[in-house]
Amino acid sequence: MVAIRYETPRSVSEAVRLMAADPGARVLAGGTDLLVQFRTGVRQPSAFVDIKRIPELMSIAIDAHGLRLGAATPAAVIGEHAELRRLWPGLAESVRLIGSTQIQGRGSVGGNLCNASPAADTTCALIVNRAECVIAGPNGERTVPVEAFSIAPGRTVLQPGELLVAIRVPRPAARTSDAYLRLIPRTEMDIAVAGAAASVTLDAAGLCTTARVAIGAVAPTALRVPAAEQALVGSRLDEASLKRAADAASAAARPIDDKRGTTAYRRTVAGVLTRRAAAIAAARAREQGSHP
Amino acid sequence: MARVHLPSGLTRHTGGVETVDVDAARVPDLIAALRDLFPQIADRLEEMAVAIDGEIYADPGYQPLRADSEVHLVPRIAGG
Amino acid sequence: MTAPRDFKYVGTRPIRHDGVDKVTGRASYGADAAWPGMLHGFVLRSPHAHARIVSIDTGAAEAVPGVHAVITGKDLPETTATIALGEAAIDLRDIGDNVLAKTKTLYHGHAVAAVAATTIDIAREAAAAIEVVYDVLEPVTGIDRALGAGAPILHPALVTKGAAGPDAGGPTNIASRMELKRGDVDAGFAEADLVVEREFRTPMVHQGYIEPHACIARCGEDGRAVVWCTTQGPFVVRDACAAIVGLDPANVKVVPSEIGGGFGGKIVVYLEPLALALARKARRPVKIVMGRDDVFRATGPTSGSKVRVKLGAKRDGTIVAASASLWYEAGAYAGSPVGAGAMCMLAAYKVPNFFIEAYDVVVNKPKVAAYRAPGSPIAAFAVESVVDEIARELKIDPIELRLMNANAEGDRAPYGPKYGPIGLAQILEAARAHPHWRAPLGANQGRGFAVGFWFNAGMNSSATVTLNSDGSAAVVTGNPDIGGTRAAQAMMAAEELGIPVERVRSNVGDTDGSGFTDVTGGSRVCYATGMAVIRAAEDAREQLRARAATIWNVSKDAVGWENGRAIPPAGTEKASPMTVAELTAKMTQTGGPIVGRASLYAPMAGPAFGAHICDLEVDPETGRSRIVRYTAFQDVGKAVHPSYVEGQMQGGVAQGIGWALNEEYIYSADGVMENAGFLDYRMPVASDLPMIETVIVEVANPLHPYGVRGVGEVPIVPPLAAVANAMRDATGIRFTELPLSPPRVLEAIEAAAAVPVEA
Repeated sequence: MVAIRYETPRSVSEAVRLMAADPGARVLAGGTDLLVQFRTGVRQPSAFVDIKRIPELMSIAIDAHGLRLGAATPAAVIGEHAELRRLWPGLAESVRLIGSTQIQGRGSVGGNLCNASPAADTTCALIVNRAECVIAGPNGERTVPVEAFSIAPGRTVLQPGELLVAIRVPRPAARTSDAYLRLIPRTEMDIAVAGAAASVTLDAAGLCTTARVAIGAVAPTALRVPAAEQALVGSRLDEASLKRAADAASAAARPIDDKRGTTAYRRTVAGVLTRRAAAIAAARAREQGSHP
Repeated sequence: MARVHLPSGLTRHTGGVETVDVDAARVPDLIAALRDLFPQIADRLEEMAVAIDGEIYADPGYQPLRADSEVHLVPRIAGG
Repeated sequence: MTAPRDFKYVGTRPIRHDGVDKVTGRASYGADAAWPGMLHGFVLRSPHAHARIVSIDTGAAEAVPGVHAVITGKDLPETTATIALGEAAIDLRDIGDNVLAKTKTLYHGHAVAAVAATTIDIAREAAAAIEVVYDVLEPVTGIDRALGAGAPILHPALVTKGAAGPDAGGPTNIASRMELKRGDVDAGFAEADLVVEREFRTPMVHQGYIEPHACIARCGEDGRAVVWCTTQGPFVVRDACAAIVGLDPANVKVVPSEIGGGFGGKIVVYLEPLALALARKARRPVKIVMGRDDVFRATGPTSGSKVRVKLGAKRDGTIVAASASLWYEAGAYAGSPVGAGAMCMLAAYKVPNFFIEAYDVVVNKPKVAAYRAPGSPIAAFAVESVVDEIARELKIDPIELRLMNANAEGDRAPYGPKYGPIGLAQILEAARAHPHWRAPLGANQGRGFAVGFWFNAGMNSSATVTLNSDGSAAVVTGNPDIGGTRAAQAMMAAEELGIPVERVRSNVGDTDGSGFTDVTGGSRVCYATGMAVIRAAEDAREQLRARAATIWNVSKDAVGWENGRAIPPAGTEKASPMTVAELTAKMTQTGGPIVGRASLYAPMAGPAFGAHICDLEVDPETGRSRIVRYTAFQDVGKAVHPSYVEGQMQGGVAQGIGWALNEEYIYSADGVMENAGFLDYRMPVASDLPMIETVIVEVANPLHPYGVRGVGEVPIVPPLAAVANAMRDATGIRFTELPLSPPRVLEAIEAAAAVPVEA
């Protein structure tokens, strides 16, 4: 029988040491994915390195530069953070959609990213907010944009001995807001069949000056959709430009056919959700404009 | 005489006979009479529930019959 | 039939006796038992949907330290016995083979060996070391393949039982054929002004009980065995285990745990014979708990189906003819509920001419088990969809159309006998009068209506009512309590004895501690076992009257009984009425303990109908729908505990909505189940459903002293069609295949938009 170690480092450097020393070790944050994979035999780690006792991984800090989100901070804590919700309503939405109330008490954004599911709810919302992953490793710290963090289903850029310690999100410009939508057949406890996030910045006249669009569950990793962004920039985010963005998102989608949805269905829905998410983000940005 | 209604699935073995009047005081007498009348369906009779005047018995045992009872042979049902 | 009676407890809503234990986590379920020296069992399952077992080598597994026993099909005796299981005899050879494959594996997940070891990890590791050589065969993955030319044959010896059709003759995958007919169906259709014919398909679905199968068993050197397990039928487990493992049933005691849902799926045995056989070999107790994936792959489901229905109606809405063909998947062994489906499908309607044929088809999927009104929801989906079409075509209100054609007391059921009092017209009228039927609908919303029928079982029940010296009472029956039956039984005993319901303790006995009782199933417990409790309480009450007679030195016949008190005959010196507590205080002096008892065999519980109104909203761009309002009407005869009657109605609706919208077994081309978990087998979660409104209608069942009918199964029958009819109303599209999952709905909406609408 195999014995499995359980480690509780108190600092990032200690965690890095433990991870570097044992290639079979896995980082344990909320465990909402890892423990399920362990119980079903998908993963058989030699050690669980529980990072929840490292204070900086369990914290939310917002300053003039933006957000620093500790990788293991539970979703429930994020969802109750008023300032985070005000500045990044779409990101907060994506976090609060995950799982159920019970899952929210454990699951974290860092875990969501490291699990590297193409359907992960937070990824798209992080991408449109220009988020970066802060990675600690034996050779020090490095940062990687969220859209480059996952490289394939279940795989990330993390090298042996490295762990994700934080997510940094720059403070949004004026008249900027975001939104994230996903489609699940149920209302909770489900995985996105398709997801879309949008962030838009408006000028004082209501023209869109910058836009970011990302779609999830329709390719091996979440995708940024530059063509959809171009469709929005320079427009008043009217029906016609939203429709062009939707078409661009559908065209960019490269979904698979599986038990959760067909290729055609996912492609269509990626477009619908893109249009709706951009419209919500636009409405939120306009709302900011009217209450500076 | 109790009037016995045979299920349509059995009537191809009874020469098309769908109902038969049987002089029987209790269910076992009735089943015995049917066996004699239609030997081809003898083994199927064991698998049937019996409805006597509207009440269905999955196992009719020795239920008594009235002189004018209406009897239906009905497939057994499994409930959840 | 008894005259209407003023009840003191029946019809009230006391807190259930087992409630606190359940909400605090103290109640013990199947997996909660642990016995000294216990080993853990693990079941090795077939990775192939259809394969011949060439050889099994258990040597390496037996050599793993900590392993105490390994069994394969060879460790179980061949049996050809049949036992009464639920309401039908079952072939124990099939059940034994299903529990542990002997020569062939017939579905992905079919058990082929089991290991008992000191820890579950060792057992799992040892199971992985078992070498099974398979000769993999082409699987039969559905009805069309099973019936198609050159189909692989699951059972070479199988012949079609019953009323064989023209395609009879082996080898075959059709296990049985049944037909029902009345009148002249061709003449009937010739008379019709409108004929609607459709073909429907539904996928295999699971009961989805929250508690997985679990048991612990021990077996001594003397052959005496004890099994603790989660089951709907402890006596069935006893008899099936004894036959499959080769023990004397007299030596087997089965203790039912609390049960976390069953819905018919916990009537059969899966793990219990394996745990017993391992325990006998290891001479240690063995506990086995299924994971959710095994629950999906190897237990439960109900049939996938193909149903063709044709109805003919006159312009005024009178239905004059019906024909139907039903094919239900039985899974790996014969025994789908297709016969019940055929018998239920026209139960609501006076149809003078009909012909129905029903086929039981074996396929390489798990052997189906009973699931709440087995067979009826599938058939109702087809018929109620076509009735909806007729109402639309003829522009007749759907409730009106059903009232015009509704069966009533004295009409003949399609399966033959005449109905006694039934509440079909009453529930239809209640639905028509309900504000829901007239409520406005919002954008993209539609309303559907459907009715459903179930027979409801009777069968064997036993009960004892033991009086304590303080005037309290204990009820014992042999029915595991799934739906609040302990509370209902306590209420019935309290009603008969005239003591407060809180003074009655209601218990589930084991197979040695209770009289023989058939399964908790068929909606029979509150009706049949309840009747046994009433009679046992009456027996206790009669004994109390006799004790009063002894005290007063009068004849028993002279002692009256009113409001829970013995009344002395007029003029008896110094005697005043005595309460139950006053009488039981003197039990020792008047003859010893008092135990009332009753055993009975009840006829079927009085057929019952439900009618449902469903409002659904669909997102036309994504095909995703949600149920926005739902009201269920049901004739329950007499609601003993209305809260649990309402709970049964709501539960049935919830399961039916899941079946309609998202639930389905998804198989790969090689027969591997791809969604064996609650993530991808999408049962509804609480937030998916609106509050399900319930309307109880009471048309007394003359077979029961209080008028009780079976309640639990009827409410799962109408929802499939009610939801599909609502989807038709919302989208203009008739869906004939379930589930109405977002991709299927969107595809149909897009296809409809691409085609010019017909005039």
